Amino acid sequence: MTTPTGIGLGLRAAFIERVERGEADGKVAFLELSPENYMHRGGPAPRRLGAISERFDIITHGLMMSLGGVDPFDDEYFRELRSFLDRHRSPWHSDHLCWCGFDGALLHDLLPIPFDTGTAIRVADRVRAAQDRLGRPMAVENISWYLELGRGQRDEPEFVAEVLERADCLLMLDVNNVFVNSRNHGFDPYTWLAKVPLERVVQLHVAGHELWDDTLIIDTHGADVRNEVYDMLAWVIERVGPKPVVLERDSNIPPFAQLLDEVAAVDRVYQDALGRWHANQLVAKHGS
Amino acid sequence: MAAKGEARLAAMSAAIRAADAPQRIRADYAAFLREHGLVDGDVDALLERGGERMLVYRSLVHNRLRNVVREFIDRSAARRGKSEFRADFDAFMDEQAPVTPYLRDVPAEFVAWVTPRWTANEAVPPYLVDLARHELLETDVRNDPAGGEEPTELPLALDRPLRFDGSCRLMRYAWAVHKLPYALEDTSTPPHVLTNLLVFRDRTGKVRYLEIGEWSALVLEELICRKLPVAEGLRRAADRDGASLDDERLAKAANLFAELADHGVLLGAEPG
Repeated sequence: MTTPTGIGLGLRAAFIERVERGEADGKVAFLELSPENYMHRGGPAPRRLGAISERFDIITHGLMMSLGGVDPFDDEYFRELRSFLDRHRSPWHSDHLCWCGFDGALLHDLLPIPFDTGTAIRVADRVRAAQDRLGRPMAVENISWYLELGRGQRDEPEFVAEVLERADCLLMLDVNNVFVNSRNHGFDPYTWLAKVPLERVVQLHVAGHELWDDTLIIDTHGADVRNEVYDMLAWVIERVGPKPVVLERDSNIPPFAQLLDEVAAVDRVYQDALGRWHANQLVAKHGS
Repeated sequence: MAAKGEARLAAMSAAIRAADAPQRIRADYAAFLREHGLVDGDVDALLERGGERMLVYRSLVHNRLRNVVREFIDRSAARRGKSEFRADFDAFMDEQAPVTPYLRDVPAEFVAWVTPRWTANEAVPPYLVDLARHELLETDVRNDPAGGEEPTELPLALDRPLRFDGSCRLMRYAWAVHKLPYALEDTSTPPHVLTNLLVFRDRTGKVRYLEIGEWSALVLEELICRKLPVAEGLRRAADRDGASLDDERLAKAANLFAELADHGVLLGAEPG
């Protein structure tokens, strides 16, 4: 297993053929994909993915583990997932700090969890169980949430830190989600970032978002990355050094060349920040 | 009383799924929350945000899932009518909701759920279930985990079942829905004739549709669906056809087997 760094792209059906044809070669450092889109599936899709994974490092990012849920894990889902991760040599697997099903029904969305100790303990237990089942480290992603589900005992970064500590797992830090939440709930995103254990960050996400109404931003992955999100990405990279960063785009997907231009734009921000991280490392080692 | 964590999830799940949730939340949000076991602190926190914010999640979930279903059966959804299709989908969420972790399988779960309801509803065009089943085929067959198996290299034998490509489906429609135009605005009625299609994924990954006659369909039902040995399958097919297994039927079966072998669907006799 390799651990890529630099700017990767979330692989989507809308442009997988272009990736297969080589149009992303040399332009993205790696690909991130959601196993649920390929698991339990035959025909051309697995063949195509097999060919692509020969050329790119693959990192997996799941959608349906329901780490914040209360339903028991689905054994068949985990068997399929582990087989998929082994086949594509993903160095870790990430999923979201959310729930997506209840009482057997699966709602296919990232639903919010309360920020309290009882939930942190339950989520951490499930993360550890998932790590055991998958035989590799798990990273959890902070989600965009539009409603806290009840009266939390702490704020989100404290809750995230508690889950990470209890589960001894990694953080898949989505800086766009931090930005969206900061606008929707009125907090300073840099205070949020300063409160999470950045040493556990293994990967980052950037994306764009859209307005639902005058009071609510929704994390649609349907627009270009905003400058404020670039600034937050740079702030994190300056502190954590080289990491894999994924550009996510799920709707309003532009022509592929334009999407690759955005990857290049993210990379410029990343490289500048990485330069400052290297400088900081030198200063720390040798003094100013 | 549900555990605290479970109660909060139950309340949101109901807000998303229950058909009457929007009305009830707008009428008395606190009562809705308490009914699902939430207590003072949690109720107060959610009331501060207001019920409309809870219903944002309902919209997000419904929009995403309904759009996926519509994308897979767009002509059926259009012929059903926008508001009727939306009502069908709301009822699906209320009564069952998806249970698959794979988004692409949600449309098939919806169609399975809605089939008896459309069949029993005189306001629904009688061919609509056939059309929805037909529309699902393309993605269903293209993505079937089965298929692409190797030929057995064994010649056909009367006392053995045959092996067919795992992706193949025998579809039997009461209406020739496969002849309908692709235009969403089309409202023509398909011919009301029994229609048999053998659908499979070929070796290049393309989904192929082979229209076959009634005798061929009867034979394949016995050999593919019931996996009977060839001789027994042919006899049963003839019985169901109300005819004897004469030379003409045997010749047609032989031609069918040859054609399916050419298409790479018939993979030889099953090993003993």
